[in-house]
Amino acid sequence: MFTSIDLNKLINLFKYDQTDPLLFNSSMFLFLFLGLLFLYQLLSKSQRGRIYLLIAFSMFFYYKSSGFYFLLLVFSAVFNFFMGKWIFISQSTLRKRLILISSIIFNIGLLVYFKYTNFFIQIINSFGSAKLNPLDIFLPIGISFFTFKALSYVLDLYLEKMEPERNFPNFLLYISFFPNILAGPIDRASRFLPQLSAPLIIDDAFVGKGVVLIISGLFKKAIIADYISTNFVDRIFDLPTRFTGAENLLGVYAYALQIYCDFSGYSDIAIGIALLLGFRLMENFDSPYQASSVAEFWRRWHISLSSWLLDYVFKPLQMKFRDLRTLGNAMALVVTFVLCGLWHGASWAFLFWGALHGFFMAFALFTKKPKNYIYAKLGIKNSKLLRYFQTFVTFNLIAFAWVFFRANSFETALQVFTQIFTFFHASVFLQFVPGYPVVTAMIILGFILHFVPKSWEIRFQEYFSRTPLIGKAIVLAAMIWLVIQVRSAEIQPFIYFQF
Amino acid sequence: MISEKLKNTIISSLDIDDFDLKDDTTADEVPGWDSLSHVNVILDIEKEFKIRFKSIEVLKLKNIGDLQKLVDSKLNSTN
Repeated sequence: MFTSIDLNKLINLFKYDQTDPLLFNSSMFLFLFLGLLFLYQLLSKSQRGRIYLLIAFSMFFYYKSSGFYFLLLVFSAVFNFFMGKWIFISQSTLRKRLILISSIIFNIGLLVYFKYTNFFIQIINSFGSAKLNPLDIFLPIGISFFTFKALSYVLDLYLEKMEPERNFPNFLLYISFFPNILAGPIDRASRFLPQLSAPLIIDDAFVGKGVVLIISGLFKKAIIADYISTNFVDRIFDLPTRFTGAENLLGVYAYALQIYCDFSGYSDIAIGIALLLGFRLMENFDSPYQASSVAEFWRRWHISLSSWLLDYVFKPLQMKFRDLRTLGNAMALVVTFVLCGLWHGASWAFLFWGALHGFFMAFALFTKKPKNYIYAKLGIKNSKLLRYFQTFVTFNLIAFAWVFFRANSFETALQVFTQIFTFFHASVFLQFVPGYPVVTAMIILGFILHFVPKSWEIRFQEYFSRTPLIGKAIVLAAMIWLVIQVRSAEIQPFIYFQF
Repeated sequence: MISEKLKNTIISSLDIDDFDLKDDTTADEVPGWDSLSHVNVILDIEKEFKIRFKSIEVLKLKNIGDLQKLVDSKLNSTN
């Protein structure tokens, strides 16, 4: 009897459970991934065998979080595979354009249906007198990511940046590749597909870099981000009025660190896992808070998305509006970033967050000439001091915008700023440090690591790649142990500070 | 080969000192030529050569060699 119960439990572990996707920092994933690596090694002689194994694993991975919607991946792959081919063989520009437009309508239509239908219903309800009921639509996980991957393929074929893939399983793997299906990077077909036709070689450098990325990703996501969010940031954003302005300001900065560590940490793990399988995914984060302008921030933050928007939304708009010069550029920026905001989620808050970024950059465009004139007059153009100042201002603008991204409502976001500007109580800083020693230490450590020069990072990676396998395994095991410790640590009690 | 006229137009549009532009040079290798200044470079070329590009033609460009070819083809078709 016991065995039958255990068997059921075991089967359930492998079944679709919407609340329990296979996140990389779960022990279930670790266990399955080690199994996958073992089979992958057995198939080292068969390139095709490896690709089929990865497709099967990717389908299971998706099934685990979204059930039979994994068929959507297959459907999207079939459709875009043939549309891409059709664009390529069509002779007339008009026909190419018509095929492109229909594939865009199909892909975006799918995304809009699953992700935005209820948002539109909400908008219609707020204007009209007729009240529509929200629909019960399941949101297939990662749909924003794989739709954009698929679109990059047809768009690049239209722009003649690549040739179509001949082999359907290769294309299916590109769409469904499990390391980046849930949260990116949104890899480009033109970078990924050639890797499937070349011999798969996993050398020491791949393994070394992969393990470093997994370790640093776990540290950022499962230690820094998870710890400071549960023990500090969430409390501030749940009820900003309960805290002084000083705590709110710290909360805003800590959230900027948390979202970076969370997202870039997850990306690092995804890139690391892909490296262990012999694939290079594109870089997704490059110490974004080191940026000295909002435009530079977007060249360093979620690079796979920002470069996607740059190539397929901003550049075409910019060309269309080019006769308006700076105004045209500014309009293209605002439209692109409003869409960027909406891509993050179907809500006014995301739209507003995106629009803010668009306005920051548009403002910078219009003030570029006078600013340069003033800097030149003051003799500080290209000086380090100016760069530090600009980095500080940029960080604060971005942290400001994050408040709208994170807050549960627009009112909550405004409360955060009201507390900061009218109820600051700087003395609370001094009590904060001894009150929350671990949170403080993690915030400081997180920011220090963020501002470490890139050359140090590369040197560390190279050094780590050269350590023997056993050394790497020990460090990885230690990190996993640390993650478990942090996860099972008791939540820090809430403290009321005196002021 | 990149013509002197094209080279000078690009360099003055970006407001930079001399830069060696070759056929396979890409925009991101040239200082100051980023996604925002790109449109000004294109506009200045159109004005200097009295030509008009289609958006798609500009989007397809991969390097300065492609740009030179596009400019040449426009000049030939207007002659």
